[in-house]
Amino acid sequence: MRLFSPFRLLTAFACLAIPLTALAGGDATLTLTDPAGDDNGPGTYKYPTAPVYTKGSFDLRKLEIIDKGDKVEFRVTVGAHIEDPWNSKDWDGNGFSVQFAQIYIDTDHEAGKGFTGPLPGLGSLKWADDEAWDKVVLVSPQGRAKLSSETRKAGAMKSAIVIPTVTRAQGSTLIATVKKADLGSTPLNKWGVNVAMQSNEGFPLSSDLLTRPVNETGGEHRFGGGSDGDCDPQVIDIFAGKAKGDAAEVADQHKALAYKCGSQVAHMPMIYPGQ
Amino acid sequence: MANHLRDRLRAVALLCLASGVLAAPAWADLTKFEIDGRIYTKHLYQNDDSQGLLSLGNPFWPDKVSGHNGVGSEFELTFRGKVSDYVEAGARVASRFGQRWQDWWESGASDFGGQENTSGDSAGMNRAAYMQLRGSYVQLNLRMPGVDWVRIGSSDFGMFNPWTIGKVRYIDRDNGRGYFASGHFGKDDQFQYHVGIIAMPKLFVGPGWSTGLGDPNLGGNAFWSRDWAYAASVRWQPQDETIVRWVADYTQDLEVDKADPDAVGSTNPTCLDQLGNPIPGCVIDHAVDMLSRYSSWNSTLDIDHTFLDVWRVQGLLALSGQRIDQTLTANGVALNQGVFPIVYKDTDAFAGTLRITGNDPWGIGLTLQGEYFNIGQDYNAIFGARREADVLLTDGLVGNGGQLPTMNLANEFIDFDDEWVESCIGWHGGTGLATWEKDETRLRAEYTFITYNQNTQGRDIDKVYPTFLFSEGFTDTAVYDYANTLDRGRDPRSVFKRDQDRHTQIAMTNLRQRWPEAHGLELDAKFKYVSDVDYRRLNGPGALNDDYYGNIFIARAKLSMPLWDGIKVGVLGQIDHWDEQHRTGTPELGYGNDVTDKQTAAFQTQIYWQGVKISYYLEYIHKFQDRERQPDQLWNIIRSKATIEAAW
Repeated sequence: MRLFSPFRLLTAFACLAIPLTALAGGDATLTLTDPAGDDNGPGTYKYPTAPVYTKGSFDLRKLEIIDKGDKVEFRVTVGAHIEDPWNSKDWDGNGFSVQFAQIYIDTDHEAGKGFTGPLPGLGSLKWADDEAWDKVVLVSPQGRAKLSSETRKAGAMKSAIVIPTVTRAQGSTLIATVKKADLGSTPLNKWGVNVAMQSNEGFPLSSDLLTRPVNETGGEHRFGGGSDGDCDPQVIDIFAGKAKGDAAEVADQHKALAYKCGSQVAHMPMIYPGQ
Repeated sequence: MANHLRDRLRAVALLCLASGVLAAPAWADLTKFEIDGRIYTKHLYQNDDSQGLLSLGNPFWPDKVSGHNGVGSEFELTFRGKVSDYVEAGARVASRFGQRWQDWWESGASDFGGQENTSGDSAGMNRAAYMQLRGSYVQLNLRMPGVDWVRIGSSDFGMFNPWTIGKVRYIDRDNGRGYFASGHFGKDDQFQYHVGIIAMPKLFVGPGWSTGLGDPNLGGNAFWSRDWAYAASVRWQPQDETIVRWVADYTQDLEVDKADPDAVGSTNPTCLDQLGNPIPGCVIDHAVDMLSRYSSWNSTLDIDHTFLDVWRVQGLLALSGQRIDQTLTANGVALNQGVFPIVYKDTDAFAGTLRITGNDPWGIGLTLQGEYFNIGQDYNAIFGARREADVLLTDGLVGNGGQLPTMNLANEFIDFDDEWVESCIGWHGGTGLATWEKDETRLRAEYTFITYNQNTQGRDIDKVYPTFLFSEGFTDTAVYDYANTLDRGRDPRSVFKRDQDRHTQIAMTNLRQRWPEAHGLELDAKFKYVSDVDYRRLNGPGALNDDYYGNIFIARAKLSMPLWDGIKVGVLGQIDHWDEQHRTGTPELGYGNDVTDKQTAAFQTQIYWQGVKISYYLEYIHKFQDRERQPDQLWNIIRSKATIEAAW
């Protein structure tokens, strides 16, 4: 009898792994959840046709914000394993290629403070006055040098941009560590947050901050289903409703991101899970 | 489309309108047109007397580009146009790289016997910087049931995988052309497929890196215009956690049947034999029969399943085969000193990998990965990925560019700072990799054990199995020359030896630590140990005195930090100590013990400023090779590479 058959080894491994997995637990301070399959912006957007944009790559599932003392860890989970098809180590990147998540934070929930428009490259999108964002964390595959250089495009918003000290991918989760001091002193449970899910474009249009355009007709490396004008929100997925992952939040997202060129601007809702 | 571009195009359109050149309706079309531009300039310098712009160029032919001292530029334009709601078209045109700044007048002609002279008409097209069409396509976004799109033209083949038809290396990324289609079907679009009919490159996919051209058995009558590869992939995702993929390809190299009386150079032009009698079955009908010179197939079935959120299992089974008509295919193993990308016989082979990953299952930042791999000695993905891909978990023996299941690797057209790939054909073993990540710290530790399916005695390397001429010694990728005039060790494609009984162990640790409080200072330290043992001959005279024991130590540390927005600098140091007993020699003359010591120091900077990327790398290498049976060798190399890239 063979003592070390592959099947026995796998079984032993699984027996060890499963109970240990049960011990795993996070200490997330804030958690937002999003239903699957709503990675279509206002309901019409389509992925680019190149095979690197695999199904679920931009489908937000969860945001966890973890208080780690003088640091804050952001974990953005999507609906696919995060791969690195463009070998990010070749361009001083962070171990993934196609995703780009912008985490918008309203630290004060006060009207008249913060920004009510997005960073360049997200198209036409507005925040309510009392939900204006104060900080935005860029979870990008680009290395710090390139990312910090690109922030010049943000103009007055540049000072509100926070570049993580570490950004990495693990399984289907993007993980970014940020110095708490860079986010201000407001307790996390007072924050309003949302995520604009986009795609990393290493050679963006000159006014865009590393984002991939959404056009009327999609292409190999262009999202489709939007507008060729400037009136559409260039985000693929956001959190909506109460961000509990209910199926009804799909409609909430579509309603928030709905737009009509010339008459209706898409709206980015902020989620205040601690309030 | 971005405002700036549209504004610019509108301005052009308005100017044209004002001058009466452009009719008004064309304005709407212009707004659906994108142009990207890029200028890339490279400076390459080294303290030797070679001239050129590329550290390692064409390994076989003089290319007038390779060399270590030169500066040159490349310009490219990429066009994408929306033809209609359903059609996208695009193309890329780029200047041929290789013109040095000193080549003011080179016209592309190669008059006067192709000899370099003062005429400006001597160095040929490689130094003329002419614009070349690199990629063109039309994509029909049909959006009909079962068919999402059809593409005619260029593709990087990224829809297949490295075991079959690999994603084309970056410099060739849009040179591949064919017909492609993709679509979804099934409940909730669970199935996605890609199919492709691909024009096979006349260079590299076949015996002797050719689909006939240059093959002496064809007598200068190679035919490659109807050589195609066929590929398909189907991806089934029945649930979020499970993906099943099947990928397959078939390549077919056809040549003219010279027995056909209609063929140019036919052996039977009159359909009569030497006695004047009709040859049975020989008919002049103005249709030329074809024969298969070489065909190959590769197929993979892989399953990717995630359970309990954090555990992932990836299993892959692959098969590979080839058929050769030896009357139409010269034996490159025998004729080209074993430098040949296939085994010279019909083959069938299997391969398999199984990888298990636990993504931080205990919430303490510890990720565990284990992989079993077993790749048949005759597996060969002749059209597979040649570089810029990696099918195994291990750091491998040489470089960190990855391991690929092909002898068709492309460690060429690269500079000294580029990564290397190695062939993993015949590898059988396992890897364990632990990664611990917490805040700004990442620690990795790997152990790999490899035996080789090629382990045997008395293999026929004279007529069947290619050795790439040099199979001994740890490969020095930093000081490499194709012809191996400087004893750089094993060719990374060399996977066969006459007598082999080899096993390898790899241990690697890597620490990356960042200190945000110290202005983002980052340390990346790596230590690697390779124990490579080959008992070579197991029987016969001298069999006990030919055993190879390689103990390879490599320690490397890099410190880098951002100076301010967009600027990053770094310094790097590496120490290599390779103690190789019985490294080179022959059974008759015996083997010598060689010790290689190498020290490397480097400075690196990257600058991103207003859309321009500037990078600079300066390196010093001191290498001393203490050889028992040959003269010692010393290198003192200073070399640099600077690039400036502006894209818009």
